[in-house]
Amino acid sequence: MPGLVLLRHLLRTVGSAWLILSVLFLLSRGATDQRSLLQTMVESSARLGSLLEQPAVSQQLLQRYGLDAPLFYVSWQPATGWYWHGFHNQYHTWLTQLLQGNLGTSYRSEEPVLVLLGQALQYTLPLTMLAATLSIALALYLVAATGYRPIVSNWVMSMAHTLQSIPLFLLALGLLLLLANPDALNWFPAFGLGPTGPTSTSWSHPQALLYQLTLPTLSLVLGSFPALAIQLNGSLHQELARPYVATARAKGTSQGRTIWRHALRNALLPTVTLLTELLPSIVAGSVVVEVIFALPGMGRLIADAAVQQDYPVLLAGVGLVAIVRLLAQLLADILYPLLDPRIRITA
Amino acid sequence: MKHLSLRFFFLVWVGMVSSCTTPATYSAPGTVRIRWARDPENLDPLVVSNTSAYEVINLTHCSLLMGREEAHDFVPWLAEAFPSVERLSDSLLLVSYRIRPEATWDNGAPVLAQDVALTLKVMNCPGLPTEMDQAMFGFIRDIRLDTADSRRFTLVCAGQSPEHIRSSGDFSILPEYILDPGRQLRTVSLTAMRQQPVQAAVQALARRYQRLRLARHPENLPGCGPYRLSAWQSGRYLTLHRKPKWWADVLSAPPAQLQAYPTTLTYQVIPDAATATLALRRNEVDIYGLMPAAEFTRLQQSAEDRKRLAFYTADSYEFLTAGFNVRRPVFQDAATRKALCFLFDVPALIKATQQGAAIPSAGLISPRVADYYNDSLPLPVFSPTQTVGLLRQAGWQRQADGRWQRKVAKGAPQVLRFGVSYRAGEPAFETAALQFRAAAAAIGIEAELRPTEQAVLSRQLQAGETDMCIRNYSGNPFSYDFTALLHSRGIGASNTMQFSSAVTDRLIEQITSTEDKQKKKLLLRKFQRVMAQEVPFSVLYFQKYRVGASRAVGRVPVSGLKPGYEAARIRPMEAPL
Repeated sequence: MPGLVLLRHLLRTVGSAWLILSVLFLLSRGATDQRSLLQTMVESSARLGSLLEQPAVSQQLLQRYGLDAPLFYVSWQPATGWYWHGFHNQYHTWLTQLLQGNLGTSYRSEEPVLVLLGQALQYTLPLTMLAATLSIALALYLVAATGYRPIVSNWVMSMAHTLQSIPLFLLALGLLLLLANPDALNWFPAFGLGPTGPTSTSWSHPQALLYQLTLPTLSLVLGSFPALAIQLNGSLHQELARPYVATARAKGTSQGRTIWRHALRNALLPTVTLLTELLPSIVAGSVVVEVIFALPGMGRLIADAAVQQDYPVLLAGVGLVAIVRLLAQLLADILYPLLDPRIRITA
Repeated sequence: MKHLSLRFFFLVWVGMVSSCTTPATYSAPGTVRIRWARDPENLDPLVVSNTSAYEVINLTHCSLLMGREEAHDFVPWLAEAFPSVERLSDSLLLVSYRIRPEATWDNGAPVLAQDVALTLKVMNCPGLPTEMDQAMFGFIRDIRLDTADSRRFTLVCAGQSPEHIRSSGDFSILPEYILDPGRQLRTVSLTAMRQQPVQAAVQALARRYQRLRLARHPENLPGCGPYRLSAWQSGRYLTLHRKPKWWADVLSAPPAQLQAYPTTLTYQVIPDAATATLALRRNEVDIYGLMPAAEFTRLQQSAEDRKRLAFYTADSYEFLTAGFNVRRPVFQDAATRKALCFLFDVPALIKATQQGAAIPSAGLISPRVADYYNDSLPLPVFSPTQTVGLLRQAGWQRQADGRWQRKVAKGAPQVLRFGVSYRAGEPAFETAALQFRAAAAAIGIEAELRPTEQAVLSRQLQAGETDMCIRNYSGNPFSYDFTALLHSRGIGASNTMQFSSAVTDRLIEQITSTEDKQKKKLLLRKFQRVMAQEVPFSVLYFQKYRVGASRAVGRVPVSGLKPGYEAARIRPMEAPL
């Protein structure tokens, strides 16, 4: 039976993903005047500048990108009512390509969107996964270490609240100006990944990579660990007040063992939602950190696509994050009963 | 155990970081490292979608002519001399070139007229992303090759505009030996390229071109420029290496356009200005072009930074304007438009947005172009008193509630109330708009600020849906063709002010059709005078481009054209100054 329930959850997730992607597609295309979108591209062209032929070029580009076709199978005209366009429409073409694993081509770089996503994830995933791991580890360590030390715990939580109130861009800029500044501490490079030498890439030098990623990682850790720590601290203190903890302590279990073996596992339950929320962030990257430290990751890809109206890239990036969010929710549903057997997945 | 592992992890990190031997400021001799705000994205020479891409294409490929700022004109680049021109009937122009005899491709083969013919055929090849090229160079109808001299050819151009002479040489020449190794296209004329059904040789060319995937792999099509692409990590950096033997090296005294000194040019993509400034100060980049005014001034004022960095400015051709939609009833008369222009305090605006480093101008030609700038026109002044006086002359009357109204022949009276649109997130535009609104509000004029997203603003401007718009325009010292911007033919395209008149249309046509410098001078001055009377827009100031550079790279040749410096002409020094 649990298998059947899981299958239902899975099917529901697939349905939700299709719905979200379709809405994203229709909203992004429907809410934009495609002619003006291409006009912006033409105007920003380095050489086309201000030619009289701009409208004609826009029309040709509309044809090249398939934007001259109707948006959906049907459309509503006040004069004629509903009109059936058949299968030659933008949505049908997009959906067919999507089912074949083709996310389209970037308007700007003419590169397949799948390749662009792969390139961006190559930079984002190591950074965000490292930052997420460190955030979780730091939150667990600090909360566990201060569980039976109320004064230190209060101090740590005050620090976490303070950090949480600082916007990420301020944190990142602050770190940059503090630790990569000739006027202060000139310890780290100002930007993420530059060419390290005439024949090598950064990825072949793990030391250089860690060195260059220290500030971006630190920014992300300082930005994400406070929420985890605050939530976990609250849960842990609730658990520490429960009778089973008093029993454990009465039986002579040490403070550390009580926390790590008994209380923390139960305290993790409310934190699971927060932890699974980290997954979409891991894929989406951080626009702020990637812009400040010049890292060409997912955050910058999506933000640039939005600014430059590169809709195939934007749709794929946002769609990927949405799907990962759905998967994270599915994962949370699976993790809850594993952590607390009293919880059962129901249809 | 968990505590230990966490401590161990941090120790490993600290150890690795502290033992890191890779210098952050690696720079080989002869290398110049330049900051880019954005990636070129697409390096297909037929596409060239942004200024970074344009910079790379100009270093890896050559055109027949090149615009040189100091000459205020195009100069021969791959061409041996400026082309000779023959006017044929009323509608055709024959532009004849000869390619420099020294010019060769990387394989040692000479650059010939056949390469130019092939390039034009590629630009007209169906199935390739050539829409923009066809729009720009569609006036070239045919190419006639000289049978006696393989380097000589004549371009048959439609129309007789002198602009076409210069434009006819402003595209990168592509190698025939790569794109058409079998020389099958030699028998296909330029006219036949556009015809349906598409010939097999043309289809083969399209397939060959697409297989090269030039958008991301420009190295597959080496040009005859001094540099070749050696590395490109999109969004991170791009490296160009100078060819060990470039054809122009044999010239004893190469002109500026044929000089290329740095052995390596590394472009580092750093989107954030604060990060880029730190990178310049930390010696992680050598050149920072188009620096924001505040950062530039701050570094200039630091004694420590002055020791290691040099600072340059160049008068650009980019200007900030406040334009009126003249089809809006309240802006239909020149007196009202002129009155509102007195509400811009240009010196204060220049101080606030450009740290005082910009040039006020009476018109849309830069004051530095002394020949063409009409210096008898007054510079814009801030004078709300004159605004009030002019508004009264235009029929506006201030009401008891402080608003301005005027009676019209039919319908309700007009209220002087309008929106000021500008691109959202642009500090200079926002400051100008805020300054204007404050000055307008002080005398009872209602100006509503409308910061708008770029694409939406673009659509609104084209559709004539804005009232007043603050935006930038980019000019250049080579072309004085205002057709798209201010001619009636430009309405619906780039003439977003919807302004036109018989007088200005005729003047624009005369300016574009004359080659006589003296006549052009008179016409341009007259045009500026008419524009000062009609006031479809007010030029607030011409910007300066700012370049911060490490003294280690020696003197940086700067330019009023983007990107503000000439990378190939930088001579990196062995020992810093």
